[in-house]
Amino acid sequence: MADTFDVVIIGGGPAGQAAALALALAGHGLAIAVIDEPPRPGGQILRQPPAPFAVSNWLPGRSYDGLKAQLARFEALEGISWLGGHSAIGLVREADGLVVQASGQDGLRRLVARRVLVAAGCQDLAVPLPGWTLPGVYAAGGIQAFIKSQQIVPGERVLLAGTHPLMLLIGAQIVAAGGTLAGVLFAQPRQTMIANALRHATAAAAHAGNLAAAASAMKVLAGAGVAVRFDTALTAAIGNSQVEGARTAAGDIACNAIGLCYGFVPQSTLPRMAGARVQTAGPAGGWATVADGWGQSSVPGLFVAGETTGVAGAPAAMAAGEMAGIGIAHSLGLIDASEAQHRAGPARRRHARLLGFARMLDAVADPTGYLPAPTPDTLACRCEDVDFATIDQAIATGGSANAVKLATRCGMGACQGRNCEPTLLRRMATAGRTDDTGFTQRFPARPVAIGDLAD
Amino acid sequence: MGMRIEADVTRGNAITIIVDGEALPAFAGETVATAMLAAGRQVFRADTGGKPRGLYCNMGTCSECLVTIVASGRRVRACLTEAVDGMEIATRG
Ligand SMILES: Cc1cc2nc3c(=O)[nH]c(=O)nc-3n(C[C@H](O)[C@H](O)[C@H](O)COP(=O)(O)OP(=O)(O)OC[C@H]3O[C@@H](n4cnc5c(N)ncnc54)[C@H](O)[C@@H]3O)c2cc1C
Ligand code: FES
Repeated sequence: MADTFDVVIIGGGPAGQAAALALALAGHGLAIAVIDEPPRPGGQILRQPPAPFAVSNWLPGRSYDGLKAQLARFEALEGISWLGGHSAIGLVREADGLVVQASGQDGLRRLVARRVLVAAGCQDLAVPLPGWTLPGVYAAGGIQAFIKSQQIVPGERVLLAGTHPLMLLIGAQIVAAGGTLAGVLFAQPRQTMIANALRHATAAAAHAGNLAAAASAMKVLAGAGVAVRFDTALTAAIGNSQVEGARTAAGDIACNAIGLCYGFVPQSTLPRMAGARVQTAGPAGGWATVADGWGQSSVPGLFVAGETTGVAGAPAAMAAGEMAGIGIAHSLGLIDASEAQHRAGPARRRHARLLGFARMLDAVADPTGYLPAPTPDTLACRCEDVDFATIDQAIATGGSANAVKLATRCGMGACQGRNCEPTLLRRMATAGRTDDTGFTQRFPARPVAIGDLAD
Repeated sequence: MGMRIEADVTRGNAITIIVDGEALPAFAGETVATAMLAAGRQVFRADTGGKPRGLYCNMGTCSECLVTIVASGRRVRACLTEAVDGMEIATRG
C-alpha cells in the first residue's frame, strides 16, 4: 500500500518543524507527512517528556524560548500527517517520485512524495576508548535526553568527559535534576579553548547570550562543588561488569556513569542512500549533505536542512528549515522566485550570523588530537565486536572502508556503521589515506523486523 | 542505577513490565530502557565474548539497546519503545 504526499519531512526537530510551518503558510491543502522516531515532536534539543507526564518548569532558560514557541506553533498546525514513533529506513528515487520506507510498530509503510526533506539532525560522535563497552558508558547527549525527556538521571555519580562545551550545560542540568556529578573533564587546556574562541572574536561578541549561558552553567557547577578540570584526558573506563570509575591523566575517579562528549556528526545515512552528494563535516568527522541556499541536494526533489547539512546548533537548524520549506514551496510552483527570496530574507540573514557562532564552537570543541587512545583489543565496532588490532591489519592491506568492512565485519552490524565509520576513517587517515568516501549506505537505515520486510 | 527525578514531575499511571522474568515497576510513557535503568538493570545484552553490554546513545542510532518483545518476537530498540503494562521483554535474542 502506498501513501502519496506532496512533501514528506523526515525529522520533527527545529529544522523539520520550521519547514512544515513555512510550507503550510505557502500552500493550503498540501499533503505533508512528518516522520520522527520519538513519539512527540521536538528533536534532540527539545526531546519532550512522554505524553502522560506533566513536568513543570521544563527546560528553563531563555535559549529554549524561541524553540519552544516554534514547537507550539508546529503542534497546533492542522492537516499534517504526524508519523511519530516511525523510522525512515529507506529513501530512493523511483519513477513515480521519491519513495520513503517508514517502519513503525504497525509494520512498514511506503510513502511516495513529490519532495522529501531530510532533517534528521546529528548524533554524538562515538568515541572508542578502553572500557567503553562497559554498561554505564553513554554518549553524553543520551544522558541529556534521559533527563530532558524521561526525567531520569542514569547513574548515581556521573562523570562527563570530552572536548565539547555542551558538557557544561549537561552538567548543570544533572545538578538541577538532583543528580551527582563526579566531575567534568575537558581534555584540552583552558588556554587552547580561549585562544580558539578569540580567533572568532567577532562571532563571540555577537553571541554573548550563548557565552553567558555557559558562564551561568559554570556557576551552577561551582555552586554544587563540581570540579571542572581542563587539560585532563579520560584514558579508560574501568570496572568489571559495569563502570566503577574513570582513569584519567590526573588519577582514577569513582563514578558509575560516564558521558562521552567530543562533538557531533550529521546523520547522513538517508541522503547518502539516495545518492546525494556529501562533503566532510566539521572537526568531529562525519558527512554533511551538500545543498544550495534552498536546501536542494544533488538529487532532484530531495531537500536537506538542519544538522543533516552540518552541525550548527538549534537556532541555525530552525532558520535552515524555514529556508528549505520556502525553497520546496517555490519548487512546487506555490510561490514565485521573488516571493521566495522575500520570504526567506530574515531566516537567511539569521542563518549566516549563526554560522559564525557555530564555527567558533567547532574551533573551541575541536577533538583533533584529544581523542582517547584505544588499545589493540579496544572494540572499534561495537555491533560486531571488531577490535582495533583487526581493523588496523585490514587497513594495512590497502583496502577501502568498504573492503575493511567486508574483511572484518566492522560496520556490518545493527547500527549500519554510524558509530564506527568516523573511527575507521580517522584510522585510515592516520595511515595516509584521507580520500576514502566511507561505507556504501544500505537499506535499512534502522533495524527492522524481518517479518515486516517479507509482508 | 538510574534515579527518577522527583521535583516538578508528575508521572503517568504505575505499570509493570516483565524483563527476563522479573517484574519491574514503571510509569506509563516511560521507555523500556528507562524502566530497566530505574530498576538497576544496566545490561541489555551479552556480546560475542560473553561480556555484558549496556545501552549507549539513547536516541535510536546505535542499536545497543535491542531487546525482544516476547509476545511478538519483534526486536526493538529499548530506548525508543514505550513500556506497556504487562509487556514481557527478553534481553537475550
Ligand atoms: C543527543 C543530543 C543532544 C543535544 N543537545 C543540545 C543542546 O542541549 N543544545 C544545543 O544547542 N544543541 C544540542 N544538540 C544539537 C542539536 O541536535 C541541534 O542543535 C538541533 O536539535 C538540531 O535540529 P535538527 O532539526 O537539525 O535535528 P534534530 O533536532 O536532531 O531532529 C532530528 C529528528 O529526526 C529524527 N530522525 C533522525 N533520523 C530519523 C529516521 N531515519 N527516521 C525518523 N526520524 C529520524 C530524530 O529522532 C530527531 O527527532 C544535541 C544533539 C544531540 C544528538
Ligand atoms: S541506545 Fe542506541 S539505539 Fe537505543
